[in-house]
Amino acid sequence: MNPVLARRVFLARMSATLAAASVGATLVPTGVRAGPAAPRQVPGSLFDPDAYAQPRPEALADITELTIAEAATLIRDHRLDPRLLVEAYLDRIGAFDATYQAWNVALADEALAAAEPPRPGRYLGALHGIPLAIKDNYFTAGVATTANSFIFQEFVPPFDATTVSNLTAAGGIVLGKTQMGPLATTRATTPNGIVTTVNAWAPTSPNVDPGGSSTGTGTAVAGRMATSGIGTQTGGSITSPSNAQNLTGLKPTMGRASLFGIIPLTYSRDHPGPLARDAKDAAIMLTAMAGPDANDPRTLGLPPVPDLITAATARLIGQQVHLRWPTRIGVTPGYVSGTGTTAQARRAFLDTLAGIPGATVVDVTLPDEWDLLTGGTFNNVRLPERSEPFMPFLRTDLRLFGVSLTSWLQGAMLGANEFVTGQRAKLLLIRRVLDDLFAQCDIVVQTSPVPFDIIGLPELALPIGMNASGVPIGTILGGTPYAEDRLLAVAAAYQALTDWHHRRPADPPGEAPEPIPVEPRPGRARGPAARMGSRVGPAPADPARGRLTAAEVAELSQ
Amino acid sequence: MAPVPPTDDQLNTMIRARLASVGIDLDQLPATSDPVTGTPSLNSVLSSLRNFMRSTVPTLAAYHLPGPEGTDPVQAAELSQQGPPPALYPSILTAWNEQ
Repeated sequence: MNPVLARRVFLARMSATLAAASVGATLVPTGVRAGPAAPRQVPGSLFDPDAYAQPRPEALADITELTIAEAATLIRDHRLDPRLLVEAYLDRIGAFDATYQAWNVALADEALAAAEPPRPGRYLGALHGIPLAIKDNYFTAGVATTANSFIFQEFVPPFDATTVSNLTAAGGIVLGKTQMGPLATTRATTPNGIVTTVNAWAPTSPNVDPGGSSTGTGTAVAGRMATSGIGTQTGGSITSPSNAQNLTGLKPTMGRASLFGIIPLTYSRDHPGPLARDAKDAAIMLTAMAGPDANDPRTLGLPPVPDLITAATARLIGQQVHLRWPTRIGVTPGYVSGTGTTAQARRAFLDTLAGIPGATVVDVTLPDEWDLLTGGTFNNVRLPERSEPFMPFLRTDLRLFGVSLTSWLQGAMLGANEFVTGQRAKLLLIRRVLDDLFAQCDIVVQTSPVPFDIIGLPELALPIGMNASGVPIGTILGGTPYAEDRLLAVAAAYQALTDWHHRRPADPPGEAPEPIPVEPRPGRARGPAARMGSRVGPAPADPARGRLTAAEVAELSQ
Repeated sequence: MAPVPPTDDQLNTMIRARLASVGIDLDQLPATSDPVTGTPSLNSVLSSLRNFMRSTVPTLAAYHLPGPEGTDPVQAAELSQQGPPPALYPSILTAWNEQ
């Protein structure tokens, strides 16, 4: 191994962070939560000018199309009332969620009440008034948090998850809770396996994979039922729905954002993060979510949160996009193999990156024993972390686990010897990744999210094309510990040169609500949201959509 | 000499005993999968757990962590103990070590 190299990589990231810190005051959103008397322009904060963008014409014509950065500009400038934005999303939920089945509950009254326009002395930054989709494994005080499981069917948490609290303190609005794979295992289903949420790009074809387990959040954001949202990832559950639904998902390094108040699937591998419309929005979301939390010791004593928002802003020299930092982009063996549309999209992706000044695309080799240490057997080492926190339920009634039961029992069967071997192998793997793989590159393309989930390294998913059926193709970039900024910088440069991330799916069949422009006409008729109650429950599950068996869930489980 | 691999019956007994010892009763599982809850049948669960015990567990048990760089293969077993210690959170540990 080469500890000098690993240290160099880390110090390079730290020097960039410290340089940014010397420009402004606070990099973490602590100051934002305090509620400044007047807008500040602190680099890396939610008041950073880079957190705002001029809206595109299509977004001015239909506010459900706005990114966070675009909506933030309009809300800050008093050109858009957040209540109108909430209404517009509620209209779409009312019109389309019987098809999408993305939501477990939409909090119509609470969201409208929380949607306050800025006023003197109370403007919270780029997330002020932004409606968000929250995966239903995040605690929300007073609102049921079910994890789509029989176990939590009646569970109403007494407090918000830290990350939810951070988002709302920064002005974000909890629009509702989204469907997920039961206990965060697979694509979204009912606890007994009936498929619920569909891919927003193929809403009438339930067999088209919408990605899991943060499926509901993915479909809610892709289907323009929320501006952005959050999910969790243990084995690809942010990157998978992001790739499947044309979103930019960011799974941060373990410890970057608190897990306190999130129903665990695997303590050492659960990661909270955003599913967003582009790299800038992902950066805004993670800026609000990230930072130390006294309730989660995994977040303490870590490198400070870098200036994610500036990192996610394309760097222009003249009219040309440049990478913010010189970056070697590693291409793993087999990444562009084949002749299919995915391989073509990957080649075009790499060609675009290679044309950006500052980027160098390099072929890399994988560390020794890569397939073994990242494959199914060593992946299964996670399972006792799944069964242990659920022992009270395993000892009470196995039927509470529904279709997801098997892997919980596997966890209870794995011996402590094997578990220790697995934990030793994790350190071996990360040393090889840092010293061998990242000796060859600064970021690396991924063909599977699992290896970096095992060792807690950051990943960013982004759209790079469409297949012949019009379903998105995405890819994943992986980075070194706490280097989310470098991933965002590469994604932002790519998105400045391409428009895949701006593409939106067609509406499902049915009566579409009238699009609401930034300046709605007087006397505008309210859409179906006007007929909604204060809280809107999930659409009824339809067995005709298909059903996952327990055996399939055991195979697919993240 | 390697031990004789356990039979299905032996594994079934072992699985039931292990789970019962920590308070998990497999006998509450239905004979056929339950369409209402999605709960798998007892036989399918036992089959899956037997497969798990025959694949994941022995592979992990047989794996030897490499010793320090330059380890003489003759001393591989002894020096394997000096290889990586357990790390539940390797990315966090790396950051702590590098600061």
